[in-house]
Amino acid sequence: MADAVFGSATPAPPRRLRRAMVSDAAIAWWLAMPAILSYLILILVPTLAVLALAFTDYDFGAPSFRWIGFENFAEMFGDRKFKAAIANTALYCIFVVPLSIGIALLLAIMIEAGARGRALFRAIFFLPVVSLTVAMATVWQYLLHPSIGPVNNVLRAIGLGTPNWLGSSEWVIVSLGFIGVWENVGYNLVLFLAGLTAIPRELYGAAEVDGAKSSLSKFRLVTWPMLGPTMLFVVIITMTRSIRVFDTVRTLTQGGPNNASEVLLHTIYMEGFHNLRFGYSAAITLVFLACVLVLMLVQNRLIDRKVHYG
Amino acid sequence: MPGVIVDSVTKSFGQNTVLKSVTLDVARGEFVSLVGPSGCGKTTLMRIIAGLESVSSGRVIIQGEDVTGIRAADRDIAMVFQNYALYPHLSVRQNLMVPLAMRRLTAAQRLPFIGLYLPGARNVANGMAADVERTAGLLGIGHLLARKPAQLSGGQRQRVALGRAIVREPRVFLMDEPLSNLDAALRVQTRMEIVALHRRVGASTVYVTHDQSEAMTMSDRVAVMMDGEILQVASPEDIYVNPADLRVASFIGSPKINTLPASIGTDHMVRVGSHATGLSGDVAGEVVFAVRPEDIAPAATGIPARIEHVEFLGDCLLIHARMSETGHALISRVAPGQYPSPEPGTTMRFQPVAAKALLFASSGKRLAVRVLDATQPVRAVNG
Repeated sequence: MADAVFGSATPAPPRRLRRAMVSDAAIAWWLAMPAILSYLILILVPTLAVLALAFTDYDFGAPSFRWIGFENFAEMFGDRKFKAAIANTALYCIFVVPLSIGIALLLAIMIEAGARGRALFRAIFFLPVVSLTVAMATVWQYLLHPSIGPVNNVLRAIGLGTPNWLGSSEWVIVSLGFIGVWENVGYNLVLFLAGLTAIPRELYGAAEVDGAKSSLSKFRLVTWPMLGPTMLFVVIITMTRSIRVFDTVRTLTQGGPNNASEVLLHTIYMEGFHNLRFGYSAAITLVFLACVLVLMLVQNRLIDRKVHYG
Repeated sequence: MPGVIVDSVTKSFGQNTVLKSVTLDVARGEFVSLVGPSGCGKTTLMRIIAGLESVSSGRVIIQGEDVTGIRAADRDIAMVFQNYALYPHLSVRQNLMVPLAMRRLTAAQRLPFIGLYLPGARNVANGMAADVERTAGLLGIGHLLARKPAQLSGGQRQRVALGRAIVREPRVFLMDEPLSNLDAALRVQTRMEIVALHRRVGASTVYVTHDQSEAMTMSDRVAVMMDGEILQVASPEDIYVNPADLRVASFIGSPKINTLPASIGTDHMVRVGSHATGLSGDVAGEVVFAVRPEDIAPAATGIPARIEHVEFLGDCLLIHARMSETGHALISRVAPGQYPSPEPGTTMRFQPVAAKALLFASSGKRLAVRVLDATQPVRAVNG
């Protein structure tokens, strides 16, 4: 192969050229092969397997399975647990995505404007991202404990009500949402800080000279539009991260009480690994994938058109 | 009539003092260049005039109004930034519209979508659109209004930046090295266009540049800055012929002015080495004798120097030589044809035009001299 590329002294140029071109293509394929193979083996095949499984009644360990068409999907829409999971996941996203993005943006602007301590604040807020959620969950469990938790102790001390944060169906999604915000803010903050640093200082000078007096008008004229690409990325990342919420639910509530914190990924996990209903679990996974796909498409179509790239 | 007065402004960043009690005044409609090597504080001074930087002490007065504590947005100045600082997400039209919208529309009227339906907004917007069209026409960028800055060439961006500055007719016009990102040919052309534009707009203009040819060709007056101080403010001709400081003399002019060590004897005669220059000074001691390359030429008598090389530039000949006595470099600019091209390696004598020579104290201060044309015949060789 190397011979062909670097050319032995073949006299006829057109043929040599053709050979070189053919082997160029071959080399390209060879170089792309690891990526292609891993994509096929790790992503495409499993996805297709899930797609196929979704139309069967296969249970893990069962000797045989039947093709049952859309029965799994029909069951899903009568399944209280699944409906709760869809509603709760949506609620969780609606809570976590705007809050974690808004707070992160606010903090990033404050840190960026501050004279000192940038690295310190960045490290502090990034800590939740690098800490293990499962380990941190025990801390949250303690903090939010209805009787001995510090949160309720404080509330009690100032004479407010003391909800059972993780144990009551009206509060549990809010509590998980707060933990989700806490987890996501640091990550988004670092992305925003990077985005803010990339904005040329002179644009703010120009905005000031042009008469943008308030920080709000400077934000609207410079910061917001210049952060467009970062914002698009942050929205997509936060959306996918929160639609995939699982570890806090698994460790803290197991979907309870009374399905009030049941979320999509937890349902998939329970059906697949607990009840061993692979077919049904695959069907839910398919719905989950469809949701993610639709969200991404809508976002790309809507936002990408408005974003200015450098 | 004063346009801008900078009154003993000092600026420090921590321990580092970048402006040392700088005073400058710019008349209404005057074009003043701040020129100096990089790091001399000229951009800082401009940003202080703009209000983008605060002063450590001193005052800035624009048309009689003390604006020292007033922010840039309220100073009614416009600025052209070195890399233009156009809003990349806005079209050329919108870029030109920003300074108008910020001043003529209320915050509510500037809101997207609904702003234009608020009372009065339509009329103002129509007026703004007309102003933008007029400015764009003036700069020849009318056909570019719909484009984004990324789709423009460097020269076109530069015009848009100029347009954004002049569209609302500011009291003071500040330009921070606006031509430094253009190629050489375009720079010369734009230089003339900016001067023409200045005449037309008539606002006081402060122009920062490190390029002395820009400063000399464009300005009514040039302020030479070095190490956080303004060394001299004068007309381009004065700066060139009558520099107040050796650093000014050395900075302005290309090739650089010749600076030769000299001494004033007890007889008041100024000598370069052993050669009498035809000048007399007051105080005996070591001084610097400076003469521009066009004011020193090969002659029968004069300072002996060894020719190192000769450059032929078409309209003139640059003779690079080294003084035989002290080894100092010496450049002489002469008209071609007037001399047979001097051979490198040979030694010639160079006679300065005494009337044009300058004398500086070793501190750099200009010294008064008398020309002794009776004892030393002065021969004007080349201008």
